[in-house]
Amino acid sequence: MTAIKIENLGRIFSTTTGTIRRTRKDVTALENINLVVEPGELFGLLGPNGAGKTTLTRILSTVLLPTSGRAEVLGMDVVNDTKHLRPRIGMVYGGERGLYWRLSGRDNIQYFADLYLVPPEVSRKRIPELLELVGLKDRADERVEGYSRGMKQRLHIARGLINNPDVLFLDEPTIGLDPIAARELRNVIAELHQKGTTIFLTSHYMYEVDALCQRVAVVNKGKIVMTDTPTALKQLVANLEVVEVECLDASAEALATLRAHPRVESVNVENRDQTQVLQIQSPGGVGSVPEFLRILEAAHVQKVVTRQPTLEDAYVKILGKEALST
Amino acid sequence: MITRILGLLRVISSSFTMQAKERATNQFFVGTLLVLPIIFTLLSVGTYLYGGKGDFGLFAVIGAGMMGVWNANLWTSGRIVEGERRGGTLSTLIASPTPFPVILVGKSLSNAFASLISLVVTFATGLIAFRLKLDITYPAAFVISMILTLISMTCFGLVLGSVFVLSRNAGDFMEAANYPIFILSGLMFPLTVLPAWLRPLSSLLAPTWGNLALSSSAGLIGENPWLIDLYLIGLSLAYLIIARVLFKQVEYRVRRDGSMEVF
Repeated sequence: MTAIKIENLGRIFSTTTGTIRRTRKDVTALENINLVVEPGELFGLLGPNGAGKTTLTRILSTVLLPTSGRAEVLGMDVVNDTKHLRPRIGMVYGGERGLYWRLSGRDNIQYFADLYLVPPEVSRKRIPELLELVGLKDRADERVEGYSRGMKQRLHIARGLINNPDVLFLDEPTIGLDPIAARELRNVIAELHQKGTTIFLTSHYMYEVDALCQRVAVVNKGKIVMTDTPTALKQLVANLEVVEVECLDASAEALATLRAHPRVESVNVENRDQTQVLQIQSPGGVGSVPEFLRILEAAHVQKVVTRQPTLEDAYVKILGKEALST
Repeated sequence: MITRILGLLRVISSSFTMQAKERATNQFFVGTLLVLPIIFTLLSVGTYLYGGKGDFGLFAVIGAGMMGVWNANLWTSGRIVEGERRGGTLSTLIASPTPFPVILVGKSLSNAFASLISLVVTFATGLIAFRLKLDITYPAAFVISMILTLISMTCFGLVLGSVFVLSRNAGDFMEAANYPIFILSGLMFPLTVLPAWLRPLSSLLAPTWGNLALSSSAGLIGENPWLIDLYLIGLSLAYLIIARVLFKQVEYRVRRDGSMEVF
């Protein structure tokens, strides 16, 4: 039996505009999604904001209904078999909401232990274990409102594990965390995976997916663009080098010329406070740098670095130039 | 089966406790329990006394007490769902293996029993401000009526709770509905002053019968309190059946529309 099986799944949201004359508008959040996740797998769903990652997680965790297709988790239909499915899954949504801030961390977990009908003799043992796992043992009796964002996120994880789920859904669990808190959380996720929990993780952080997941599906505009291992995805850009050019003002014309250059695969532009960083994927690599600099002559180049491609570069290539370029 | 029933009873108990803990940290709710009943009593009893209808003083005390119970119970229970929606916990609760109405029963019962405080404050205000002493003619019937009233209001809260889950504006609606319900239930003025066509509507509301049950067991009206208690039990069962049907529909709709997180 597969842990998760998704067939031709779709979800359309309807919104209305106008006050007196209301016009209905349909927005496609997911379209024809097909996916299989095996038991014990740590599967990543990678995509930019608005790609449909949260919608898919919510459907799989029985909070939202699909408008077409079907999905099974642990062999149970996510639409109709919620009574038997819900006790066996856990879900953690990113952000600080979803906890009782005026209560202590321990009270929060205890409450969800009761909601998940965990027998008291089991919860008495499991709650301290989970608090230890997420590093909140010493602060467990303090009110959640005094917790940092990272602590709240770790409490979410403990809450999501209270029923010892067979499948755990993690929707952007490290969003908004500082690097140290994010690393600690990734360690917790890796530890859970080692213990055999099937994990379905969504993220838009390439490093996170690369470090944790066995397989990755890249999703964009509601469709799965590609599914493979992180290593295989990186192979897509194995013949390329990435030239990172930090400059002050690259004009639209210069960027267009760069993109049209025969030795350029793609150009991703990242706007920082005072500068722009151009990530140029090129099979020519170092050898092409002088030509690139000539094109960017008026852009006040500050720094040039060449490096080997990462999963992020593969992601940029898969999604295409228009998806991430500004 | 027995394990599941025990589990659900544990949910009711922990929801009850959780709500009590949250309430203890909410100064606004403490104000609702302590301050509002004083205002209701002063206004309500004062209206009768200075209007030359002093005989209705004790009736007004019970009415004001019921208004306090309503505020601390149903109105606040409406805010429970709104609070869960705003806090992002509504979807987590609905996605848990426990049926949402069971969670709401525990939380609402907790508010219901806390609302007894407002009843005590009302009686104390009546005694201190107007020297109105409530001599209860049938003490046993009064206690039973009180408990049944709270249970019936909780069940009524479940019916309203389904609407609260469905609509993000339910809290505002409840605020607007407060005074019409006080009037319809006979808490501000006797039911006899209402037009006849409104009375069937009054008979569907738990506060109407709670008010009558308390007034009759206190000997203020000539009705048999035990019969009214029976009606309260029947009404509670009817509310439970309606709530069960509604919640099934509501859960389907919020999952279909994806509206659990919208506020």
